[in-house]
Amino acid sequence: MEFFNSADLLHALPLIFLMSWATILLLVAAFARAASERIMPALAAAGLLLTGYFAARQFGNPASAFNGMFAADGFSAFITLLLVLSGLLAIALSSDYLKRMSLNRPEYYVLMLFSITGMMLMASAADLIVVFLALELLSIPLYVLAAFAQPEPRSEEAGLKYFLLGAFASGFLLFGIALVYGATATTSLTGIFIAAQSGLEQPLYLLIGAALILVGLAFKVAAVPFHMWTPDVYEGSPTSVTAFMAAGAKIGGFAALIRIFIVALPSISEQIVPVLWALTALTLIGGNLLAIAQNNVKRMLAYSSISHAGFLLMALVVYGQDAARFDVVASALFYLLAFIITSSGSWGVVIALEKQAGKGLEFSDYAGLGRTQPVLALAMAVFMLSFTGVPPTLGFAGKFYLFRAVLEGEYVGLAILGMLASLISAYYYLRLIVVMYMQTGNPKIHSERWLNLTTVGAAIGVVVLFFASEPLFDLAALALLHVN
Amino acid sequence: MDFLLQPLNLVIFFPLLGVLALLFLKERESLARWVSLITALITFGISLWVLGLFDAANPDLQLTVVRDWIQVAGWNIRYAVGVDGLSILLVLLTTFLTPIAILSTWRAVEDRVRDFQLFFLLLEVGMLGVFLAQELFLFYIFWEFTLVPMYFLIGIWGGPKRMYAAIKFFLYTMAGSILMLLAILWLGINQGSFYLPDLIAIGGIPADIQYWLFIAFAAAFAIKVPMWPLHSWLPDAHVQAPTAGSVILAGVLLKMGTYGFLRFNLQLFPQTSVQLAPVMGVLAVIGIIYGAIVSYPQSDVKKLVAYSSISHLGFVVLGLFALNQQGISGAILQMVNHGISTGALFLIVGFIYERRHTREMDEFGGLWKVMPVYAVLTLIVALSSMGLPGLNGFVGEFTILLGAWGGGVANGPYGSYLFAGLAAVGVILAAVYMLFMFQKLFLGPVTNKKNEGLKDLSARELAILIPLLVLIFWIGLYPQPFFALIGPAVAKLTASFSGIAYLPIP
Amino acid sequence: MLQDYLPIAVLLILSTGLSVLIVALGHLVGPRRPSARKSAPYESGMQPIGPGTRRMPVRFYLIAVLFILFDIEVVFFLPWAVTFRQLGIFGLIEMLIFIVVLLVGFAYAWKMGALEWE
Repeated sequence: MEFFNSADLLHALPLIFLMSWATILLLVAAFARAASERIMPALAAAGLLLTGYFAARQFGNPASAFNGMFAADGFSAFITLLLVLSGLLAIALSSDYLKRMSLNRPEYYVLMLFSITGMMLMASAADLIVVFLALELLSIPLYVLAAFAQPEPRSEEAGLKYFLLGAFASGFLLFGIALVYGATATTSLTGIFIAAQSGLEQPLYLLIGAALILVGLAFKVAAVPFHMWTPDVYEGSPTSVTAFMAAGAKIGGFAALIRIFIVALPSISEQIVPVLWALTALTLIGGNLLAIAQNNVKRMLAYSSISHAGFLLMALVVYGQDAARFDVVASALFYLLAFIITSSGSWGVVIALEKQAGKGLEFSDYAGLGRTQPVLALAMAVFMLSFTGVPPTLGFAGKFYLFRAVLEGEYVGLAILGMLASLISAYYYLRLIVVMYMQTGNPKIHSERWLNLTTVGAAIGVVVLFFASEPLFDLAALALLHVN
Repeated sequence: MDFLLQPLNLVIFFPLLGVLALLFLKERESLARWVSLITALITFGISLWVLGLFDAANPDLQLTVVRDWIQVAGWNIRYAVGVDGLSILLVLLTTFLTPIAILSTWRAVEDRVRDFQLFFLLLEVGMLGVFLAQELFLFYIFWEFTLVPMYFLIGIWGGPKRMYAAIKFFLYTMAGSILMLLAILWLGINQGSFYLPDLIAIGGIPADIQYWLFIAFAAAFAIKVPMWPLHSWLPDAHVQAPTAGSVILAGVLLKMGTYGFLRFNLQLFPQTSVQLAPVMGVLAVIGIIYGAIVSYPQSDVKKLVAYSSISHLGFVVLGLFALNQQGISGAILQMVNHGISTGALFLIVGFIYERRHTREMDEFGGLWKVMPVYAVLTLIVALSSMGLPGLNGFVGEFTILLGAWGGGVANGPYGSYLFAGLAAVGVILAAVYMLFMFQKLFLGPVTNKKNEGLKDLSARELAILIPLLVLIFWIGLYPQPFFALIGPAVAKLTASFSGIAYLPIP
Repeated sequence: MLQDYLPIAVLLILSTGLSVLIVALGHLVGPRRPSARKSAPYESGMQPIGPGTRRMPVRFYLIAVLFILFDIEVVFFLPWAVTFRQLGIFGLIEMLIFIVVLLVGFAYAWKMGALEWE
């Protein structure tokens, strides 16, 4: 048996590169501490850019490596690019914020990079064992990052809560993997598919296993009813971490969900789709209804991110339909892209207004922003409209594509539900605009170079990319899953 | 560049130049007004140029610009604009009312003038886009986009309950449009195109699905019109909006709903239109009577005018679903008439509000003695709004009633008498509430001391009203040129209903 | 397939039942005469001094965590050693990479003062 060939290294190059880069940065952090506090953001960003470059070269020649445990295809390349984007945005949001909050420790960026490697591995995992490995690699740095503001009690609570519930979720996932292995005698995704095709002795085990895997990953993407940790963790973590978590962890979780379900489990779609349907409906309705009641912007955005997980799950519901499968992947990826840009931008605004010790996060702290900070308020208004899905924003294009996939799969009920959810969400997004523009107040903001650049850039991107969305559609459509 | 210089693109996007100019103005508030006014006037000029290029005898889309936009991943989205007899008058109405509304803000808006003008011009882009887009994706974008500037106009410069009104306006309209979005997506997936002429040509949508699609589109449009029972956002939005916002809201935005019925429901789903015409007719008549009855007891003049809009637009819907030449052309003309008359009424209310900062009828009385010019102009507009022969309202309403008699609405169990009779009652009721309002404001002795020193209309205010009055008389006395613009396109549209038999709904 | 587990199930039931039975019998049949002396921590020994739980320096936890980390990771050497011949040069390189990663972590911990007592 051949364990290895050198082409494998090439296929895994983005991942291997980023992993080594992060390891080197860890040494830099330890041995050149004073300098690293200044240069670490730049180093981390450079690493991400190179990773993105390597990943972009992988489009168009799908391959599998390491004895079929690792897939390098358009899908993983696109996800990697998304991760690079969200990582860069997160670094831009973090660098000044950390200094302001006196959290500037270089390990922050190292942990972020390690977490990104985990997310990348999620997208490339063609074997359930690798999925588990990736999930842990993704999560553990995030637990630490959530508690990064220690000894701030809220942050410590966030870290601990996230760790405990995350470990719990990992348990579900692992048990699911075990059951799937019990049913099919393999952990390879394509192997599971083949085994399920040729008939199983205990088909029920596969079903239960799949459901447990779903539960485990639903924790990660914060789908209702597995969302309980989200608001507390999002609120307690340093805001720049929250911004990263909201985008990155979601990408990783959905990447794994999409690949596992489409590659390995199409045969049980008939049984599992009702479960997915219910999960989606709960997430859409629950996330939005809970968001209405929030008076803290950070919590509101946390619930809003739950509801967007619901929209992404909508695409997954359709995964069993052969005709629509192509659009499932492409629309989910496109929606993720829209979500990342919008979400990072809106967190940027939150960071600009945040004061020490968790102050400056209430809705009322945003009153009068439209008058005192027209640019920032306009950017936030654009993000809110994009979240709502009002044209001309990228969020609208994302929803349009998503709903097309759902309608193609002939889930009209789900589409109507999704539309209703958008309508509910309009209420709380508009409320923030109302507060910013129609109430009086005198909010103070922190004007920092990279922060402003990110926020304004994201706002412009949200609008401009809507008009020039053809190349993005094109790219998302290239992100094919490689099924061997 | 060539693309932007197409007449229709120019008319849609020219106001954006004004927006750009305004962005670079920092605090020069008086200049902002001028920039915005001049932009709107030039846009009006461009629309007149479009009218010059428009061939009234041609029933088809003209001056079309069709460009591929998103053509990957199974999408077939195009950028397509065009104008025909169904929309040309509405385009002109929009470009005509916008400068008038801007002029009316000269004194009324003192706070954040630049932002106000900016949103106003953005709103104009959205409205023109709605009337000119011939592609469903593009149409939807403009349709939703009009919400945003209007939301800000109401929410920032509105009355005391402005935030509530703004959110209500947004949510109501969005509730309708998301259903329409689903229908648009269905058409795009199953018919393979979003381009309206293509969709009409392909046709062949199964009857039961057509039924649902009709309802989905109708939901969006009925809320916008607004038709009874989906009207409750309208009084709030109108009362809270600043005067210019009300003028545009009543004058143009509501027409987007009736125009939507005309452009999409009637053209895309002719069978269902025939089947559902009596139902739509009943709703329209309820709206006519309801709007009139509710107008009567209002003590706030603006609210009275707002409710009267529900009544007037009921006529328009009734005319549209008459599905014949008179009904539809009357409805189109009535859209314009309502834009002019109600726009003028809101301006008139605005003038008195600027002087007294109240709109309660009890505060006034005997204004004729104090402001005679104002009183005479108000009388003319009120008479036009209630449909006095010789003024514009009469032409529209009369043509609609002619069409409704024996038209598509008269199919079904209700017959012609009901519609024509009840609609005529609506006309009478309109006379009652309008004259009642006029009497309370202008006749009798001056009861309130505060009213004694009021100044009559200024030159600027006259300049705002006179163009509207000219049109009121012109359409009232010589409507032929307007019907000539509408006629051929309507004839082509009604021809599509000729082969369809009405089947009673089981 | 499940029948194979029957003996285990029987054993489980028997052992649980028996232990429950014995404890229950002792509880029911035996006499009970409680006294202060009997319920003391050491029934027949010295008096306890101070509380039973004591605070430990947090350093111990760090050391313990590091110990577990490196200890468990070194356990991976064992399967490698067993299959060393089959894996050949590939296995050697793989293991070297593993050790390097481990060493980076060790270096980081050392440099950051995790191994110093104060």
